[in-house]
This record gives sequence, C-alpha cells and structure tokens, in this order.
Amino acid sequence: MTDQIREQLSALLDGELPRDEMDLLMRRLEKDPELRRTFGSYALIGETLRAPGGRVAPPSFAARVTAAIGDSPASVEKASTTRAVSVAQQPQHVALWKRPMVRTALAASVAATAVLLFRPDVAPIAQLEVTPANSFAMSASPTPAQSQRLAGYMVAHSQFSTPMVRRNVLSSLLAADPGITRVSYEMGEAR
Amino acid sequence: MSGAAMRRAAVCVAGCLLAFSARADDDARAWIERMSESLATRNYDGLFTHSTGRQAETMRIVHRVDKGKSLERLVSLDGSGREIVRTSEEVHAYLPDRRVVIVEPRGDDGSLLKSLPTPGPALDRYYELAVGPQGSRLLGREVRVIDVRPKDIYRYGYRLWLDEETAMPLQSVVTNGIGNPIEVIRFTQLQMKDKIPARDIEPTVDATGFQWVRTGRKVAAMPQLPSNGGWRPLRLPPGFRLVASRLQPIPGSPMPAQHLIFSDGIAAISVFIEPGSQTGPRPPETSSMGSANAYSTSVHGHVVTAIGEVPAATVREIANSVVPVQGSDVPADSPASSAR
Amino acid sequence: MQAMPNFPPSDESMKSREPGDDDAGLPAGTEQSDLELVRRAQQNERGAFDLLVLKYQHKVIKLVARLLRDPTEAEDVAQEAFVKAYRALGSFRGDSAFYTWLYRIAVNTARNSIASRQRRPLDYEAELSESEQNNVAARLKHDDTPEATVLSEEIRQTVNAAIEQLPEDLRTAIVLREIEGLSYEEIATTMDCPVGTVRSRIFRAREAIDRALKPLID
Repeated sequence: MTDQIREQLSALLDGELPRDEMDLLMRRLEKDPELRRTFGSYALIGETLRAPGGRVAPPSFAARVTAAIGDSPASVEKASTTRAVSVAQQPQHVALWKRPMVRTALAASVAATAVLLFRPDVAPIAQLEVTPANSFAMSASPTPAQSQRLAGYMVAHSQFSTPMVRRNVLSSLLAADPGITRVSYEMGEAR
Repeated sequence: MSGAAMRRAAVCVAGCLLAFSARADDDARAWIERMSESLATRNYDGLFTHSTGRQAETMRIVHRVDKGKSLERLVSLDGSGREIVRTSEEVHAYLPDRRVVIVEPRGDDGSLLKSLPTPGPALDRYYELAVGPQGSRLLGREVRVIDVRPKDIYRYGYRLWLDEETAMPLQSVVTNGIGNPIEVIRFTQLQMKDKIPARDIEPTVDATGFQWVRTGRKVAAMPQLPSNGGWRPLRLPPGFRLVASRLQPIPGSPMPAQHLIFSDGIAAISVFIEPGSQTGPRPPETSSMGSANAYSTSVHGHVVTAIGEVPAATVREIANSVVPVQGSDVPADSPASSAR
Repeated sequence: MQAMPNFPPSDESMKSREPGDDDAGLPAGTEQSDLELVRRAQQNERGAFDLLVLKYQHKVIKLVARLLRDPTEAEDVAQEAFVKAYRALGSFRGDSAFYTWLYRIAVNTARNSIASRQRRPLDYEAELSESEQNNVAARLKHDDTPEATVLSEEIRQTVNAAIEQLPEDLRTAIVLREIEGLSYEEIATTMDCPVGTVRSRIFRAREAIDRALKPLID
C-alpha cells in the first residue's frame, strides 16, 4: 500500500500523475510528514543527477517556509515543533549528518561517473568517455590564479574557434572549473 | 508522434546510419556552411544541455545580430552559474564561483592575419565528411545527421543533427579517436526570432564585488616585439596552418604573451608563449574542459601553453615542440637558438 | 512570410515562452504538473505550495547561495523568496513556467538583500601585480562553508554510487527521465515496454537511492 503511494509521489514529481489520483495523494501528503520528506528526497535525487554541487536545503527548510507563511493550523503546529528544534540546531551544522566523515577517493568517483545516453533515433551510446586527462583530475588543486589564467586563455582562444565548435568551447568554459593536474607526460595518455 | 511511428523512425535511422552515402561529401560541406551561417547571422534564444563524462548542465544561449555584429550571451542555469557575454567590443566571462570577471577584447578586430579558413577543399584529406539521408527526426523537427570523422588520431570527430529548415545544430556530439562520445550539446528548446531585445544580451549575474580582470588594455604601451612572434611549434598535425598571430596582454605583467592560432578548418589550437613565470618553474600540466584540452610546459624560462578542441596528446605534442626562432629574445649561445 | 520555426512544437496546453525566461531546462511534464499545483494552492488547497517548496528548495538555495556574498545567509534569503512567491501567487497567471517566475523572485530577493546590506558598491577594475594576485587568492572565497561543501559532495557520491548499483533497467529509466528529460511515453518507446513499467522502474530506482541518502540527511 505505501509502495503504491510513494510510486504516485514519484509520478507526481515527473508530472505524470493523472489528475484523479492527485486528490487522494494530496490529502495524504498533507497528513504525513514522511511522505513529504520522501517527495523532497526524490527532488534532490534529480537535482543531484542533473547538477551536482552547491548548497542543499536542510531537512527542516520546507517546514520553516510553511511556518513563515502561516498556512493552516494543522501544518503550522507541526512545523513550529520542527522549527523550534531546527533553531536549536542551527549553530551546529555538523549535526546535519550522522556518519563520520570518511576520506574519499574523489578521483575514482569522478572517473567512475558515467552518463548513459540512449536516444530513440540513434544506436545506443554506451557511455560518455572520460577523456584521459580527466582521470587524473583532482590530484592537485589549481590555485585560483592558475585557473584564472587558463580561463583567460580559453576566452581568448574561443574567439578563433570555428563557429562549429565555438559553442562547445564556450559551454565547456561555463561548465568546467579548469582543473589543472600535475602529471609527468609519460603517464599522460592512456588510450 | 505516435509510439509506433517513433519506433519506425528509430529503426529506420539506426539502419540508415550504417549506410551514409559516399557522394555526400559536398553536401556535408554545404550543410556545415549553412550551419555556420545560421549560427552567426540569425537571432535565436534557446536552452541546451551540455554533457560530459562528469555531469550534465543546462545552459541558455541568446544570439543577436546588431549592425552586422554577432552578439551573444551564454549562461549556465543550474550548474556553475557562470555567464559569458560577447558585446560588440569585448567578451566578458563572469565566474561567480571565483567572484571574477575576465574581460578580453573581441578577437575579430585584433588579429594580424585574415579570418579563419572555411572548410576548404583540403579538408577531406583530414576528415571524412558524410551526410545521412532525409527522414531523421529529433525533438519533433526534421533533421539531417552530418558526420565529420577524423582520419587521424590528432583530431576529434563530430556528429551534428542539423535542422532541415534552419541548419541549426539541434544536437552535436564530439567523439574521440575510437568514435566514443565525449561531449554532447543538445537543445531542449530553441526559438528563432525576428528580433531579440538588447536586454536579453545583458548579463544576469550580479557582479558586485567581483574582481574585474582586464587584459585588453594598454596594448599600445607594450614594448616593441616582433609582431609575427618569435616562436614556432616544430610539430603540428597535418593540415593545421597558422591563421592568426597576436599579442595577448597578461594582467600584472609588462610583457605580453605571443598568441599563435592554428586551424585545420574545423578545429583550432592556440599556442600561448608567456615570458618567464615569476612563480617559479612549472612542471608539465594538463587540463581538460569538455572537449577542449590544454597543456603547459616550460621552454627556456618561458611558459608555453597549447589549448584547443583536440585530444590531449595533440596539445601536448605541440607544446613540447615549440621553439624560439632566429632573432628572438633567446640568448645567442643557447642550444635553442640554432634551431630551425 | 513563413513563420519562424520554434520547437518543441507548440501545443494548446503549453504556454509559449517569453524572452528573458530562465526556465532551467526542466524535464518534460514538469510545467503542467507545477501549474496544477499552483492552481490548487491558489484555491487554498493545503499542502500544494509545500510540494512546490519541496521540489525547488535545493535549486533556489543553490542559486541564492551563488548570488550572495555570504552563502550562509542562503537559507534565510531562500525562505524569504518562497514566502514572497506564496504571497504573490494570486498574481501568477501561468504566462511563464512556475520555476521561471520563482527564479526571478529568488534573484530579486537576493539582489535586494545584498543592496540593503552593503555600504557602497565595489565595482572596480584592477590590473593585478603578482603580489596582489597572491593576496587575491587568499581573499577569494571558495564556494561555501566546509561542512556545506562536504555534505553536497557526499550527497553526490552517494547518489552516484547508488545509481551504479541499480539493475540496468532501473538505471536506464531514471537517467532517461532525470538527465535526458524524456516523458514516460518517450521512455516507454525507447525501452520498448509499457508506460506502467516505466513508472514503476523510475519509482524503484528512486526508492533505492533514497534508502542510501536517508542516513546522510536526517
């Protein structure tokens, strides 16, 4: 039963829930904070997949907003309890997660991240290849001055790119933080 | 489009891709020229996703033609928040993550040699061009698929889905030497417009408190330098020719960098040679941004950086082969001064 | 004269986009669903606006954090933006996508917050000497507090790890949905299965990832 409801939540997030299923779901959501939390988590998953990085909302955020709006007696009551708790927690952001911080192999996770592309109009593209330089990314962080120098070069270079590829160059500049790695050139090119 | 029709289209295109017509070379070139023209001369406003092996980001592009000049604004909407604006005189790159704005003068007014070669007849020595048959569809539009396949390992390949009517690239994929995609740009929304209001080209990043790094000023006050550069790469992939040469002023430095631009008609590679680094000797450095790669190395106390839309090995080879030529500022008794 | 081509092909139920709309390329179906929620909120249906907050809270906080000089104020400013949006909901006509409208409110709220706090605009041009560059490097603020940065990195890794471990059909379904932005119908065609199966696969993928995320954010 609850699975079915959460499946409806998932469809609602995608805008694929038939209207007649919405009414009952909305009533349930209003009463069940766990369902609301789940909805928020599903939204976070999508955000993380599309554009990872950047600040995320703490679990109490939506409730704070509802409280600030002063929506309805029922939700204000619930929200104000949560709000009182979250205010107390405010100075200790570390309390937001419980697991101890584990030293992570960022390079491995970057290399392992694959984006699956499967388009109806072409044969399946299995993976976006991570270019060889990427697999060494993050091994040393560039100073801001170096990144900036490289960004400046990129901008100057982009003026001379052919129209066909200029958009690629400019979007790459928008997307990436030019990561500079220190690699001896023997190791450089895996193929 | 009905499910059945979509399936039919999928099957047809999948099959058709295996049989690109050979005489299509001229056609492909014509399509690429049409595309370049559309990109440069039409007004449009669109959203696209930019995907690499690491992540996908949504970006917006607004392109406006004003008095014969191409103006545009690109902004990352849900990722870095960065924004690039090309005004009539300058290019501004807003980097909110660094709280910096990089300002460069527009290159089309500064180069000493003429404009870039459009894909010329020599192109098919280095790339294999092919165009697919009619009947492909993408996002509800009729498209032609253009394949630009490199003939050697020094270049990247491109696959373009061009709108039949406007030749706009609705999707473009950069592929590496073995044909694997490394970068995808795909429009999710595109409007061709009669007019674009000027305010749509204005930046939306609030740059209050940002550092403005201008490299475009004071060019006239630079000490005299041989205008055609005192440096040259000994090794270049076949087909790459010098197409422009200029001075790139470096903030905080009295000496500008040499900036040499090479192109094979599709890809361009810039080589920057900067006078000795005050921060000390730099080991070789490699970096990549989407389908662009950069490699830096030091040569006689100068820092040489090659950057371009080519594989990392290519920029590395080029940077490592850069030498000063006769009559440049390298001392006469150094080994390099006897180089070609 | 022939009409300028636009795509996606316009459809009665879709509103046209205005120039200046910064709709962040959200997946298909989102706009309709948002409008439905807005409509319900406008009719004082409880919980409808809350769902919109839950859906966009991370986007708005991330956006606002990038615009503010002090990212730790992001939550307060984001809250203010949502409250403003709620209060202005009556005047939202659906001419643009809801998120586009919310985005503008968030940007304006952030700008006003900066303007009200600063003493005088700092907008200067500088040619940096080497020593100045070093000082700048020290002063340049990187993204956010260490805790916030580590948390978002942990979230990213957890989601990626969870995705990697999904069975292929679940992984494909959710990637097509979240990254490619295909509708259930389009995914069904691509994966050659019924729409109901698509809906179920996407749900099960989310369930699995949510299970992994839960201990991180509690």
